[in-house]
Amino acid sequence: MKVSNGKTIRRLGWRSMKAARTRNLIAILAIALTTVLFTSLFTIAMSINDGFQQSNFRQVGGFSHGGFKYLTEEQFNELKDDPLIDQWGLRRFLGMPTEVPFNKSHVEVSYADANYAHWAFCDPIEGRLPEEGTDEAATDTAVLALLGIQPEIGAKFTLTFDVDGHTTTQTFTLCGWWERDEAIVASHVLIPESRVDAVLDEVGVTPPGSNGMIGTWNLDVMLKSGSRHIEQDLNQILADHGYQNETAGDDYIDTGVNWGYTGAQLSDNLDPIVVIAIAAMLLLIIFTGYLIIYNVFQISVTGDIRFYGLLKTIGTTPRQLGWIIRQQALTLSLAGIPLGLIAGWFIGGQITPAIVSQLEGIVPMTSVSPVIFLGAALFSLVTVLLSCRKPGRVAAKVSPIEAVRYTEGGTIKRKQKKGHKGVSLLSMAWANLGRSRGKTAVTVTSLSLAVVLLTVTVNFANGFDMDKYVSNFTASDFIVADAGKFQNSVLDFTADMSVPQSVIDDISAQGGITDSGVIYGQTFGALEYVTEDWFRQNKERFYTPEQMDNLIRLTGRNEEGLLADRIQLSGMSPFALDHLTVLEGDLSDLYEPGSRKIAAVYADDDYGSADLSSHWARLGDIITVRYVEETAYVDPDTGIAYASPEDVPAGANWVAQPVKYRDVEYEVAALVTVPSAFSYRYYGADEFVLNDQTFIQDSGTSDVMYYAFDTTDGANDAMEKFLRDYTENVNPQFDYESKALYASEFEGMRSMFQLCGGALSFIVGLVGVLNFFNAILTGIIARKREFAVLQSIGMTGKQLKTMLVYEGLFYALGAAGISLVLTLALGPVAFTAVGSLFWFFTYRLTLTPFLIVVPVFALLGILVPLAVYRSVSRSTIVERLREVD
Amino acid sequence: MTILETKDLRKVYGSGDTEVRALDGVNLTVEKGEFVAVVGTSGSGKSTLLHMLGGLDRPTGGTVTVDGRELSALKDEELTIFRRRKIGFVFQNYNLVPVLNVYENIVLPIQLDGKAPDKGYVDQIIETLGLGNKLQNLPNNLSGGQQQRVAIARALAAKPAIILADEPTGNLDSATSLDVMGLLKVTAQKFSQTIVMITHNEELAQMADRIIRIEDGRIVVRG
Repeated sequence: MKVSNGKTIRRLGWRSMKAARTRNLIAILAIALTTVLFTSLFTIAMSINDGFQQSNFRQVGGFSHGGFKYLTEEQFNELKDDPLIDQWGLRRFLGMPTEVPFNKSHVEVSYADANYAHWAFCDPIEGRLPEEGTDEAATDTAVLALLGIQPEIGAKFTLTFDVDGHTTTQTFTLCGWWERDEAIVASHVLIPESRVDAVLDEVGVTPPGSNGMIGTWNLDVMLKSGSRHIEQDLNQILADHGYQNETAGDDYIDTGVNWGYTGAQLSDNLDPIVVIAIAAMLLLIIFTGYLIIYNVFQISVTGDIRFYGLLKTIGTTPRQLGWIIRQQALTLSLAGIPLGLIAGWFIGGQITPAIVSQLEGIVPMTSVSPVIFLGAALFSLVTVLLSCRKPGRVAAKVSPIEAVRYTEGGTIKRKQKKGHKGVSLLSMAWANLGRSRGKTAVTVTSLSLAVVLLTVTVNFANGFDMDKYVSNFTASDFIVADAGKFQNSVLDFTADMSVPQSVIDDISAQGGITDSGVIYGQTFGALEYVTEDWFRQNKERFYTPEQMDNLIRLTGRNEEGLLADRIQLSGMSPFALDHLTVLEGDLSDLYEPGSRKIAAVYADDDYGSADLSSHWARLGDIITVRYVEETAYVDPDTGIAYASPEDVPAGANWVAQPVKYRDVEYEVAALVTVPSAFSYRYYGADEFVLNDQTFIQDSGTSDVMYYAFDTTDGANDAMEKFLRDYTENVNPQFDYESKALYASEFEGMRSMFQLCGGALSFIVGLVGVLNFFNAILTGIIARKREFAVLQSIGMTGKQLKTMLVYEGLFYALGAAGISLVLTLALGPVAFTAVGSLFWFFTYRLTLTPFLIVVPVFALLGILVPLAVYRSVSRSTIVERLREVD
Repeated sequence: MTILETKDLRKVYGSGDTEVRALDGVNLTVEKGEFVAVVGTSGSGKSTLLHMLGGLDRPTGGTVTVDGRELSALKDEELTIFRRRKIGFVFQNYNLVPVLNVYENIVLPIQLDGKAPDKGYVDQIIETLGLGNKLQNLPNNLSGGQQQRVAIARALAAKPAIILADEPTGNLDSATSLDVMGLLKVTAQKFSQTIVMITHNEELAQMADRIIRIEDGRIVVRG
């Protein structure tokens, strides 16, 4: 049966809505608030995520999805048109300048096509990329500054750089430049491909050169399927052309996935605990949003049900009731959601940049994705519709007369209540909370969620252990070395990188140094002889089985048939030895100048746990170090010895055999780990530590790799300032690291988490308080008449207020109790998960936020009821008594 | 002994065109132990009169004196305290507190006054009203008649000077109405209480000692 009653129903809904002005206002605010919560939250989260991603891209050096490395021209042409590839870019690396003024910078000279240049942030703000067949070059402002060139198109500049061991000096004409982005590690000098080939010809290097990289074709790609499964796609492309990237061989092609794409990174290491933590967080946020809206609608149930019952008595069907309710909800949403979106957009769009700009190392950007707005709007709408089902359902179920008489108390399920002693205000307040347990639970829950979130955030940010973080990177207050030692790209420590006594004297002259020491680095050949088993085990991750067999064939053996292996020796003065971590044994003998005791260095991870399989040496072992003075290069096939590898005929193999050497025996006195600040900062060879005197005596060298020292607290700042100036202007070959540098880096990171978490807690806290306010407000409004009754039988206003305050306090204290239990119970679990994500995290439970929030809640529990009651008590008892009738 | 007295009691709602004279000079005296019924049609002003007598609303003019105290001289807070000690209310819709059980509802006014209930007296009331086996029930588990009996017990418990009943049987069927009326009268006599009852039911009004008829805010017949 189709009756055209739509108009009537609409009018009914509209009129009844107009009657409930206060409720509407509260409902609209609640809907708007939820929408704000979602938009702002997701905007902030996504902005930070995008900011991280952009920072990652800058660290990686580009935002292509991934690439194929070190290709031949044929391989490049073969792969570039694969159907999975959307766009491709080409780069051919030529060389790097490493001499002053480039010793502290990472600059690469190469050819890149327009796509590649764009993906690598090389977009000229003036001029353009170089044209083929010219002497043009484009670079960034940092390189120009180092060269001392004004950024002007057409400027000539000369650059001396290293191409596979050959130094070359080339002159270019500047055709374009872009701003240096501090976040990007490497600077580029882009030149035409023809120039790359010309320089390669000039220095006599044929791609791929001795390191397999020079002049090769690097193909970077953007995939058609986006960033969801980069690695899988790259592997697929390789497989389609008969290549692979797992084992060395002719069909081997190296690939790289841009880990800057968080998605790619996440799906690669899906730690279940992390996933659960993220999901729980999301659920918490969604649930909170749901609570706000639900609470408002739930609270207005009482009044509404009476009205719906009335409609039912005069012949409205449950279906029509449903329509009326939905119509009202939709109208309210129509007002609330756009309001929330606008406010959310404002918070997201205006406040996020302010937050993000405070964060170091994160590229400021605001993601205002329409998806966020759509999602937030949809979520609010769904919540509204869900929440308003209840009054409709109840009204539809109860008989009209019952509905008319419906009071909140009517929902009390209990039949009896024990107690013969009568009542007190306290017990009445308690009973009142029990009258609508659902509502009470919702209010208390949303309040406690806020407290839990706040506590978690503060604990989270607090748990970031600065000492742990700083001590991972530093050992002493300051450390000075050749700038190359602090550059990841420069490998071997050489004699010309030694810190001379004059520098040490300059620094010492500053005063304030409490203790200091040096670490001597190895600039000579030193071998140990190890079993083939250890040799294989120690190097297996670097070589394929075939390569390994070949390597062993070409490795010299001693009389006992043990394999020669390079070692890394360092000589430490007592100050440095003090910073070693002893795993086993005793270092005290090592302090003795000239002692033949040695410490074996084990590897450790970021969490500081040592890997006991990372070295063969055990306590008491005797190690013979062969100090090599002269080496012959023997062709294993012919037996002919050559004085230098360059003398060996092309195509022939050679084995390095020490011909002039000294053997010195040492006893392993301790197994230690070395703080990374004092270590070689690269690994691959077995490492040992001697004391400084023994090192000088036995090796005959004294090249200072690091000069490390502590200063008095008062002298720290002055020293920092001095070193900054000294390493920039006076002696730019050298550079320094300090605890203060890492501490400020750490603070930046911590403040980011504090800001984000603080914003989150604030929003959720606000929600909790509003919920609380709402519960009290609507609770009082709904019981207006009951209060009139109580007053008519002799409850004074003061007693009534006392009762309401008790109710408020019950809410507040209930929330406090629950949140305390939740924090104590869930804290350790959650923070173990966090600890596995961040190695510099130490769980330290602090209840300070809890202790601060509880009095605030208690105060609210007192003030909110009083304020609400004031507004209610304006109408007289009789007015209130009559209200329903 | 006069327990209740009004002098030229007036109550005016609104002003100008919408002015309604709910009470227009009511003079009324009730003696201790009397059972007075006030009858009148809807809108006659009988409920307004009761509210004035109970100090729930303030008159526009005239005075109300209960047990020797003039109500208009009392501040709100004092009035409330006076009310819980001297006036017992019985409402048409019972107005029990839904979260309290029967016993708690009955002794609520006494306990609000910070006093311990007179155990023997309260037990007597409970027994008289036949509520002995319902004491732990919550109001929503009681029938209308039972609820009204609880309300009567509550009104009596504090030993007030006067009980004001506003259509006490308005929500009850006729058999129950008679039952409740009977109980009200019997208890009032037994505990020597004064009752002013409002009703539009002439039959029930006949059970009172005296009937006061009210029309357009004025008392028209004194019975």
